[in-house]
Amino acid sequence: MKSFSPARFLSSVAIVCATMFHFGSASAGEVKVGKDDKGHFILLRDGKPYFIRGAGGSSHLLLLKEHGGNSIRTWGIETLEQQVDGKWLIDRCAELGITVAAGIYVGHERHGFNYSDPAQIKRQRETVRAAVRKYKDHPALLVWGLGNEMEGPTSDGRDPRIWKELNELAAIVKAEDPAHPVMTVIAGAAPTKVKGILEHYPNLDILGVNSYAGAGGAAAAVKAAGWKKPFVLAEFGPSGHWEVPKTKWGAPIEPSSRDKAAAYFSTQKTMIEDAADISLGSYCFVWGQKQETTSTWYGMFLKTGEKLPQVDAMCRAWTDQWPANRCPRVTRFESELKEAVIAPGQLCTVRAEATDPDGDDLKWEWTVTAESTDLKVGGDKEAEPPSFPDAIVSAEKNQAVIRTPAKPGNYRVFAIVRDGKGGASAENFCFRVEAR
Amino acid sequence: MKHTLLLPLIIAIFTSLSAQAQQLDFGDRTSATIAGKAWGALNSKNYPDAVAYAQECVKMYEKQAVEMQNGLKEPVTGDKEAVAKMWALNDVGTCLFIMGQALEKQNKGTEALAAYKQLVEKIPFAQCWDPKGWFWKPAEGAKTRMKALEFDSLK
Repeated sequence: MKSFSPARFLSSVAIVCATMFHFGSASAGEVKVGKDDKGHFILLRDGKPYFIRGAGGSSHLLLLKEHGGNSIRTWGIETLEQQVDGKWLIDRCAELGITVAAGIYVGHERHGFNYSDPAQIKRQRETVRAAVRKYKDHPALLVWGLGNEMEGPTSDGRDPRIWKELNELAAIVKAEDPAHPVMTVIAGAAPTKVKGILEHYPNLDILGVNSYAGAGGAAAAVKAAGWKKPFVLAEFGPSGHWEVPKTKWGAPIEPSSRDKAAAYFSTQKTMIEDAADISLGSYCFVWGQKQETTSTWYGMFLKTGEKLPQVDAMCRAWTDQWPANRCPRVTRFESELKEAVIAPGQLCTVRAEATDPDGDDLKWEWTVTAESTDLKVGGDKEAEPPSFPDAIVSAEKNQAVIRTPAKPGNYRVFAIVRDGKGGASAENFCFRVEAR
Repeated sequence: MKHTLLLPLIIAIFTSLSAQAQQLDFGDRTSATIAGKAWGALNSKNYPDAVAYAQECVKMYEKQAVEMQNGLKEPVTGDKEAVAKMWALNDVGTCLFIMGQALEKQNKGTEALAAYKQLVEKIPFAQCWDPKGWFWKPAEGAKTRMKALEFDSLK
């Protein structure tokens, strides 16, 4: 039994008061799963049809709104209180008319959670219940995102313990908050996972799937596996680093900025056309920047804040219009260094070309970095590899001369072009230095 | 007038592909062997050969593939053997997808679009085994690529 602590008591009172202040008097809109006159599943928010035009992330919210998005997805409940423009994230979303698929973290065995340990399971149930009690009345809440890839990205989903426990957790969520559906997100649309959920997790309202190269067919795949309830494409983007061709030394080759933009557009359009019967919408990944294999693979923004062409592609897919300012379009990115094995200290030229749809002046930035070695799975946090400013011998407009690093190893050259108005494009290629 | 311009182009492409096809080794000429060689050429970035292998498979087995497609009301489900019985449908569908991919890599967007369109319209129930443990549908990949090509051509 815990002893009474005045500090803890005051802290709890403060949280309750802060919560009341943050939520104000507005009541949460009731969200239900319904069907339209064609028999297609739809979300009904306050009784009105609501199609998710979403993005995973918690930054650049105003830009999301301006580009036609209407919802964000988070992964952990603590993110809702992240400070954004001087407010809690969830309050800022409410202010902008953006809804939130509020993620509640559910334990991953690769992070040490044991689904056979009653004590851990009990603690997790209490945490989930507390999260739901705290936010269930918030007007920005759309659905509960109960768990993300907790079965493991490389798992076949045959272990029933996780699905059975999710079923218990979903029952807790529904008991606490019958006004918001429960979504659980799995990695990929493997039939064994869908079958496991069908057998052991009947309390689930919406199946979310994270999918990359195969994202356009993810809804069809879950249907083929027997899923007959609503579906959300919960993460999608360019082909994943595990899905692309590799260099001779095993470095994954990042898709070009044009290929990435096209992938976002085509996935969104294909999903709408092919899965209208079960699809409630989607969340593109990631509305922000993150280091995962490289600093530009999955992020739809640069670390310095500029949007990338993927953002324009989603605007076009969501609204059938281009945004007021568009990103530059890279049309050429070439060098004898590209995917080459080369000796230390060699001078090589890299050339790039880009056009800007708005006629803006373009500025180039060149960087050489080490190939990332801090590689994780399932999107776990990775450290940025070091960069080598001395490797850029000269850089003039769209051309740079690079001296290959003295230390043998694997590297990447990044070219970033900016329009000076918040738009950019990023490309990279790999090379390997070997002493001869 | 248009025909007089187009005819030499078609003859030139056909002659070039035929000459290339004559130099390739089609093994036992089964659809599975040719499709395997087309994948191999695509993976090793030998795009002209990937197109030539895929075209040969389509030329030899398209009729049977379409017959199999027309005998189905929905894609075959069940075990691997049941799906594998639709061998011509699956291999020709896979080859059309490979052809589209290889043509895209050669910046031949219009031709790639034609290959994808043929796949989506004529043999949408083709399936291809993913070594990870399930079948995927080349026509679904083709639809996504068609949208991507459409996006890339937007001004």
